[in-house]
Amino acid sequence: MSSLRKIIVLLLVLLAFGALRLKFERQMLTEFRDAGLMREQNHLESRDRIDQTSSAVALGGLRTLVATFLNLRAHGYFERQAWNELQDTYETIVNLAPQTRYYWETGSWHMAYNAASYYLHESSRPPLRRKELWRSSILQGRYFLERGIGNNPRDWSLHASLGHMLRDPNKLPAMRDRDAALMAAHEAYDRSVELGCFSPMLNQRLSLYCLARVRGRESEALELARTLHEDPRHHKPTLLILLYVLEFDADPDQDAGALALRIFGDAKTAYEALAHHWRGNREGYPMDGVAQGLARMEGLLGIPPLQSILGQKLAPGFNPDDWFK
Amino acid sequence: MSESTPTPAFKASHASRMVTLSLHAFTQLVRMKVFYFLAVFAVIVIGSNFFDMAQHQGPESVGANVLRNIKSWSLGAMALFAVVISIVATALLLPRDIEDRTLYTVLAKPVPRIDYLVGRLMGVLLLVFVSLAVMDLLMVAALHLRTGMVMEMQEKMAVGRGWPEEAIQSLKQETLASGVNWQLQAAVLAIFLKVAVMAAICLSVSTFSTSTLFTTVVSFLIFFIGHFQADALDFYLKGVEAGTSTFSQYLALGFSLFIPNFQLFNVVDGLVQNQPITLLMVGKLVMMACYYVLLYTLLAWWIFSDKEV
Repeated sequence: MSSLRKIIVLLLVLLAFGALRLKFERQMLTEFRDAGLMREQNHLESRDRIDQTSSAVALGGLRTLVATFLNLRAHGYFERQAWNELQDTYETIVNLAPQTRYYWETGSWHMAYNAASYYLHESSRPPLRRKELWRSSILQGRYFLERGIGNNPRDWSLHASLGHMLRDPNKLPAMRDRDAALMAAHEAYDRSVELGCFSPMLNQRLSLYCLARVRGRESEALELARTLHEDPRHHKPTLLILLYVLEFDADPDQDAGALALRIFGDAKTAYEALAHHWRGNREGYPMDGVAQGLARMEGLLGIPPLQSILGQKLAPGFNPDDWFK
Repeated sequence: MSESTPTPAFKASHASRMVTLSLHAFTQLVRMKVFYFLAVFAVIVIGSNFFDMAQHQGPESVGANVLRNIKSWSLGAMALFAVVISIVATALLLPRDIEDRTLYTVLAKPVPRIDYLVGRLMGVLLLVFVSLAVMDLLMVAALHLRTGMVMEMQEKMAVGRGWPEEAIQSLKQETLASGVNWQLQAAVLAIFLKVAVMAAICLSVSTFSTSTLFTTVVSFLIFFIGHFQADALDFYLKGVEAGTSTFSQYLALGFSLFIPNFQLFNVVDGLVQNQPITLLMVGKLVMMACYYVLLYTLLAWWIFSDKEV
């Protein structure tokens, strides 16, 4: 057979076999993509961000390998406090390995915690500029985590991490709407419990701690606090305090002393818990009935008015303006 | 002289001939000291244990990154080594057989050319299989040891933080799932299948190629281009809606028809990230790989059948 004829036959065979496999291959690709085993190919964004060699390696089905090396590079940026490069690198990493929880959490942690803390203490920029950078770092960290959840909606840890971030009193002032952020944290904790987190009881309580701080949701929070209180394993100081303040909020005319004794068991425990709450309320928990309860417990314990904790000033809440003076 | 039933001359079957040729090819390749690369692989696996990044969360984060590193680096190295070995070994075989005149000796005997080609291909695949199996063993051993260490550290930290027993058990389950499991073996199988297809393509190229270098370069090109096949097909299918020029569309279609789709075998990334794969999916991958290997081996035979040697 002449060479030309051979080549023509060869091409025809390849075409015919190609046509035969095409439909089946396409179905397989769709099936694998739906199962999360591979991603759509058109990741121009990540292809643009990584160099040619890494791009070739990633293309060869080794995206996670490139991601691990970029993670090492990102650690270098972290040590050098090169936050913009670090953010860019994590954007690429999560493009390459979107199903790896660690990258979403670490990227978000670097932005919302490390970069934000850096701008808080950095002295080379004017205060207003630092404040804006601090705020935007936290918001970027939040957005990053939310994108992680969008990519992995069934990952409890990402939901819990979002909850931790949004309930953090150091981060809350950066949020435009404090109540909405706390509500989002409450929902994130609930979702992490639904998805089977390692410590469901802790996350249930954390969910309550967020809801209790949302203005206008007191009755809902009280209901949740009562439900959790039914299980003695939930009897932790913060939960008992919140049950107390929410019960008092629901009925401000009731006897604060009787309520405190009912919830805490005895005057000494009640006094210590209420005093601790009074002194350390930087997290913005409600304070309904705390002063009344303390007054009643001081009476019961015979604490002289001069030593009353109510004479002490309340700790000021967090105000970012003070941090950037 | 009475007629007696003639003693049947020993006539080897296709299978036995192929096995003999494949073992010969395997021995030939082993003598080239290809297994030295395993020392490099061992260094990579051990090295991946030392890149533990700063942790920012509770016990669940301890060591999670190291386990992923071991899997990702090991599977990555396996894929790279396996592809290089398969292409270079296949590209070397035919020219070497011609050079040391083994080919003439073999073909002078009643050995069909298809047996010769399949035997050589099987030799290369055996080499790749043994290499992958050894690398797999090293990876599994390292991962198993490290998983145990990670679980111990996590338990210590969790107990220190007062985690309840059920939470600790749940954490252990999750860590175990990130350790040695069958999903990893599916990833290794996917690498082997991809490499088998590549070896078959390389064999076809080597039947008409004039040099080892040409075969190697063309095979690597096909390997990389094959990862764009899915893009080309997407372009063709979406191009119809997007109003792309007819010429571009047909070019993309032709490309998707001629070039094998290597993206299909890139399930390793998903498996490293603990995405589940079903037995049916693995079966489909095997089928697709067999389809390609068969096609390219037949093409190689067809080209080689009337080649002057």
